[in-house]
Amino acid sequence: MRSEIEKATASEIAAAVRSGDICAVEVTKHFLDRIDAKNGELNAYTLVTRERALSESQAVDDIVASGRDPGPLAGVPYSVKNLFDLKGEITVAGSKINRENPPASTDATAVERLCKSGAICLGALNMGEYAYDFITNNPHDGPTRNPHDTTRSAGGSSGGSGSAIAGGLASITLGTDTNGSIRVPSSFCGIWGLRPTYGALSRAGSFAFVDSLDTIGPFARSPLDLALSYDAISGPDRRDAACSKRESDLVAASIETSIEPLRIAKLGGYFATGGEAFIHEAVDTVCRDLGVDNELELPQPELARTAAYLITAAESAQRHLDNLKKCPQDFDPFIRDRLFSGALIPAAWPLQAQRFRAWWKEQLAEIFRHVDVLIAPATPLRAPAFEQETFPFADEEIPLRANIGLFAQPVSLVGLPVVAAPVHLPGELPCAVQLIGPPHSEAKLLQVANALEKSGICSAPLANQQQLTADV
Amino acid sequence: MPFHNDCQTLSEVTAAFEAYEQALLSNDVASLQNFFWNSPHAVRFGVTEQLYGHEEIASFRQARIPNFNQRQELKRSISTFGDSFASVMYEYISNYDDGPRPGRQSQTWVKIEGDWKIVSAHVSLASEPHAKIRDNLASLGLIPEGENLPSIQKHFETTAFLAGGLMAYPLPNHIEPAPVFQP
Repeated sequence: MRSEIEKATASEIAAAVRSGDICAVEVTKHFLDRIDAKNGELNAYTLVTRERALSESQAVDDIVASGRDPGPLAGVPYSVKNLFDLKGEITVAGSKINRENPPASTDATAVERLCKSGAICLGALNMGEYAYDFITNNPHDGPTRNPHDTTRSAGGSSGGSGSAIAGGLASITLGTDTNGSIRVPSSFCGIWGLRPTYGALSRAGSFAFVDSLDTIGPFARSPLDLALSYDAISGPDRRDAACSKRESDLVAASIETSIEPLRIAKLGGYFATGGEAFIHEAVDTVCRDLGVDNELELPQPELARTAAYLITAAESAQRHLDNLKKCPQDFDPFIRDRLFSGALIPAAWPLQAQRFRAWWKEQLAEIFRHVDVLIAPATPLRAPAFEQETFPFADEEIPLRANIGLFAQPVSLVGLPVVAAPVHLPGELPCAVQLIGPPHSEAKLLQVANALEKSGICSAPLANQQQLTADV
Repeated sequence: MPFHNDCQTLSEVTAAFEAYEQALLSNDVASLQNFFWNSPHAVRFGVTEQLYGHEEIASFRQARIPNFNQRQELKRSISTFGDSFASVMYEYISNYDDGPRPGRQSQTWVKIEGDWKIVSAHVSLASEPHAKIRDNLASLGLIPEGENLPSIQKHFETTAFLAGGLMAYPLPNHIEPAPVFQP
């Protein structure tokens, strides 16, 4: 394990650190070396918190040496999208404007809780400005590259979080998902991602995009690692008004539970039409493996997407109104004009969107009386090249940036939890499928994910090492 | 002497028009007043004001704070009739603080006691393709660069198109228009 620690999963690293087989400091140094060697090419990290990582890992080693419990994620190297507060660091949220802010006085809740579980913070990761993006071609920090093909996007807005996992520059990363910003990088980078139920994980100390829709969640190389991260972070938090008051179910402990009794269906209609054939074949492969033979359709998915779009446009513009007045030229031009446009939205539109959201929630609750898990593609295409501006979709060429989220956006409108399950075929770029459940069904989704990993249908291998190390 | 655009008359009116333009750009209040017919029958319509009589025109001139000092000529059309009557139509772009705006000016000139005087004038702003977006943004205190307006307008039109579908969908009446607030 020692020479290629990056190939181990988080749970394997934690087990080795907890048992004293390997020092947390050694793991940390190994990952810091890898970041030094490879981040120049991938541009996943915008900040490496070297001192913090070394002192946190020394503390874990001291706890192990004293015979105490260092926590379930002992020594696991993780990093966070640069919209999470790290004590003493400026939370840039992918922007130029926030660089003038004072450093964060405390860690984000999620960081605090990962730290408490023994995990080691390596730094902060690149993202699309203010999370209004699916590409991560950041005008201030540069593009984050896809470890599977560095001419291509790692997805966005949590692009650095995806690239760091597929490139072996962290074992766990945190991202945020408003309309697909965890599921898109999962798909483009071929890794596991969990967008939890809205309100399940505290967003306190993360720079918000759209309060009505924002969630935070982990990326990892196995479903168990997602589950351990979820368990470490979950629980009520008064610092986040939307955070669920209920004590959340621990999900790692039940991950091996048989999925035999679960009723699983493929989403048809809107979700089975358009985009790359590879994507829909991946969905079918997953369905075959799970023995899924029924297909169902959601009512009005296009309108669900529109509703998410309108809520996003109106709320995000409101959030940035002051800076749009003060320093419009400091925004990413791609984001700025959308924010200006969002500022003009008549009240009737987002209010109708909220009404639709309430109605759609009722419709989906009815569907989830008869089914436990729904399966759909995560993205309509695999990782695009940076210069790509359109892609083929149902006999048309449609604009890329505006449409990457078309399969992701509807389901997050009503805050459903989704596991992005990666599918790799030899010589092919990967993609991910969405495993979608009713609110607070993370445990069941991770059981299905675990079964797919066990059967070998889904996996999150590191990107081809030769390609990566070629110019190091 | 030709009745329309006699050479001598045309060159006099052109010179008078250009002198007026110069006085306007340098906000030479005394000259500006002098260009207008000193009569209660002189009339000047501005973009926002209607001024009747030389007195009203003069006091407007004295109070005016110039909001541009450059106008780029787009087109002018001068017609003289006989040796003492002319109409001048002028299109231009002036640079305001919030960007360039196209404008129009029409003047009626009459030679009175040997001097060309403006007896009536009307200034208006030509409508712009993005004026509505710009004005709506301005009402929120937002002043984007003029060159961004087409892209903002395009985003807004896309949003409006999508919203149209959602607004038309017949949702049940019992669903409240705002998320339920729990105090």
